[in-house]
Amino acid sequence: MELHRVQRLAATLVASLLRSGRSSSDPKSFFGRPALIGVIDLGLFAGVAAMAAVALGAATPPRDELSAFSNAFLPFIPLVAVSVVLLAGLMFELTTTAKFAGSDAANWLPISPGEYLAASVSAIAYTYSPAVAITLGALLPLSLAGGTGAVYGATVALAVAGLIEGALLIEMVRAATQRASSVTAGSRGRVNLFVRALVLILVILLLQFAFNPVFLLGLTQRLSTVALVTTVVPFFWSTEALTQWAAGNLELGAGFAVGQFAFIAALAYLASDLRERNWAPSPVEVRLEAHRYAARNPVLAAFGLSAAESALVGKDLKGLVRRREMLPTLVVPVVLVVLVLVEGGALGDLVSVLWIGWVAGFFSLLLAGTSVGQERKALQSLYAFPLSAESLVRAKAGFVLVPSFIVAFGLAVLVGVFFGLPPATFLGVLLLVVTISVVLTFWGLAFAARFSDFQERPRPQFLRPGGMIAATVSGMILLFAILTPGALALLYPSTLSIPLGMIALVLIVGLGGLAVYWTRSGFRELFRQLPF
Amino acid sequence: MAVPSSGSRRSERPTEFSLRAGGSALQVDGISKSFGAVQALSAVSFSVASGEIVGLLGPNGAGKSTTMRAVLGLVQADSGEIRLFGQNILADPEQTKRLSGYVPEAPALYEFLTGAEYLDFVADMYGLDPATRAERIRQYLAGFELTGHEDSLISGYSQGMKQKVALIAALSHHPKLLILDEPLNGLDPRSARITKDLLRNLATHEGVAVLFSTHVLEIAQAICDRIVILHRGHVLASGTVAALRDRAGMAGRDLEEVFLALTGTGDLRDVVDALSR
Repeated sequence: MELHRVQRLAATLVASLLRSGRSSSDPKSFFGRPALIGVIDLGLFAGVAAMAAVALGAATPPRDELSAFSNAFLPFIPLVAVSVVLLAGLMFELTTTAKFAGSDAANWLPISPGEYLAASVSAIAYTYSPAVAITLGALLPLSLAGGTGAVYGATVALAVAGLIEGALLIEMVRAATQRASSVTAGSRGRVNLFVRALVLILVILLLQFAFNPVFLLGLTQRLSTVALVTTVVPFFWSTEALTQWAAGNLELGAGFAVGQFAFIAALAYLASDLRERNWAPSPVEVRLEAHRYAARNPVLAAFGLSAAESALVGKDLKGLVRRREMLPTLVVPVVLVVLVLVEGGALGDLVSVLWIGWVAGFFSLLLAGTSVGQERKALQSLYAFPLSAESLVRAKAGFVLVPSFIVAFGLAVLVGVFFGLPPATFLGVLLLVVTISVVLTFWGLAFAARFSDFQERPRPQFLRPGGMIAATVSGMILLFAILTPGALALLYPSTLSIPLGMIALVLIVGLGGLAVYWTRSGFRELFRQLPF
Repeated sequence: MAVPSSGSRRSERPTEFSLRAGGSALQVDGISKSFGAVQALSAVSFSVASGEIVGLLGPNGAGKSTTMRAVLGLVQADSGEIRLFGQNILADPEQTKRLSGYVPEAPALYEFLTGAEYLDFVADMYGLDPATRAERIRQYLAGFELTGHEDSLISGYSQGMKQKVALIAALSHHPKLLILDEPLNGLDPRSARITKDLLRNLATHEGVAVLFSTHVLEIAQAICDRIVILHRGHVLASGTVAALRDRAGMAGRDLEEVFLALTGTGDLRDVVDALSR
């Protein structure tokens, strides 16, 4: 392994990420250089440390309290490091296309799988390091004042190890999912595509729960043998090592630390092996059953969609289940519903209705946000077809509403059965959730028409960052503004039910109408000329 | 390869556009377009008659793709006018597109669809009935040797196969104007020959107007009735190959030498010598 080659490739991967952003398109700009992340790390670390020091100076708590505080928090920093990389990796890294991940070029450049792995892991760990820099900066003054500087030093080393551990896991999943893709190579049948999507969703779900500290801590609290869990599961060994050191058990702590590093080395070996076996991530040929043309979809036709609009909806729905970058969108409702099921009856019926309304609305918003940007450069084909802006609005709304209605109906039934809601209340909940989906669909489409990102990027994004933030924040406000009075009116019949129901209705009609108006004007503007 | 029969198609419905054979199908009058500080097109004018193949030539960045996009309304010109069969293209953009077939410089196909699914999708966009589309798609797939690959996802196609799919998609609704931006990119010699002969047939026998860009000047010389040379957003010269030779004072020379002379990039010996060292 040539370290110089690894370092060059890692720097290229990081630069590829930084330069994919619109604001950093100038390659000569400092904002397009890998050193930017190091500067952000240092800036965040120093800035947060300075703020913590000032706060500490003002409060002047006793030294033993500070010691106890930092000893309680420091052991969890490596866990935070792994979790941050895993969460960000699941959201951004797994959907990276091979040509942007640099793995395509690695096919013909003289780079070994091990070197590629080392470079990719370094790049991932480095990219997400600012999150750890913040926490380490905040705890530095506390540790120094509390006299736990040695444990702090060990925490820094184990946090870096945690970043690498998370990056290794992401690389392993990436290689494994390529395996999941390639097992369908040359196979016939749409079932294979479904299996591929299912495997990817399951892998993402598994990782989401297996390495989610909130979930794991909740799980360990429920188990009586917490100590056993933390000593047996390698994921916790850094935490265990720091806890032991903080308690003065140096040998035992060293043992856990060595175990942690050995575990990371084993992961690196496995990841390298996986990468070597799933090398050459070039597109594979997937054959489907002989195609038969199905004339205009009768269900969509019943909703007034033309043949061309139905074809657009069909095309987008195929993309939803066949495109890797769309999978996180599909996973969202699944993960959120599983969370509800895990929490079980701890949530009341009101919270549950609010929850499913939020899930359904958020899913519609998310999907609508992707609906235009997912066209990428193929948007020029849509422009070349004899389509009107109105047709595109109907087609895109159809694409979002078909899966949204399925999700909304499924969630309403889930809550209705779980809480044994009376039929009238159930129908009200169903209507509310479906209506929320419709309003949020058009809300998302209005933003998609104005803020879609058509660039091919290392980490696919469908909306430009500003639009994404604005859509999410405004969408959440809108969601709860409609949901809260609606759910209260349905579940707690009282003299306030009618006024609350009226408020919900007015908001639905008003905000829904506004969303439709904004969507139509946005698509008309979008259709004036090609935006790239 | 025989051109698939017309069958029923929306472009044959009564239209306010007059489809006079031999008349000016496309008229581009003084269009200009700038992107920020970059002046992409400056007062570009030319025409394409029905049944005529016009080659749009020019160095990289000359404005060929922008011109083609403007003709289809994908890019709105800052000034000037574009008329298709006498009608301003902005008056009824949908009808303009219905009458046109377009192959972009880098076709971005929906790679998650199979070839057959994509062509069906395109046929739906143009409103082709199932029987007509099935027959045409079958013929085009066979002609371009894609039969047997139509049920594979496009993501697994080679560049040439993708280009063939893009060509079929542009041809399948039998447009009256073909706008082809480097249509022979990545095609094997057999498919390139089929495409050239097909374009000639469509122009001669069906009266299709073809606007065609290429960097392969031998091809332009072989199939184009007229050439329009763009340079830095301006029309540098236009006419038949013979007229261009006369204008450059290079009688008897081939189009490549005439092109290099007209665009001021003729003396390449120093560059080649430097690169050879």
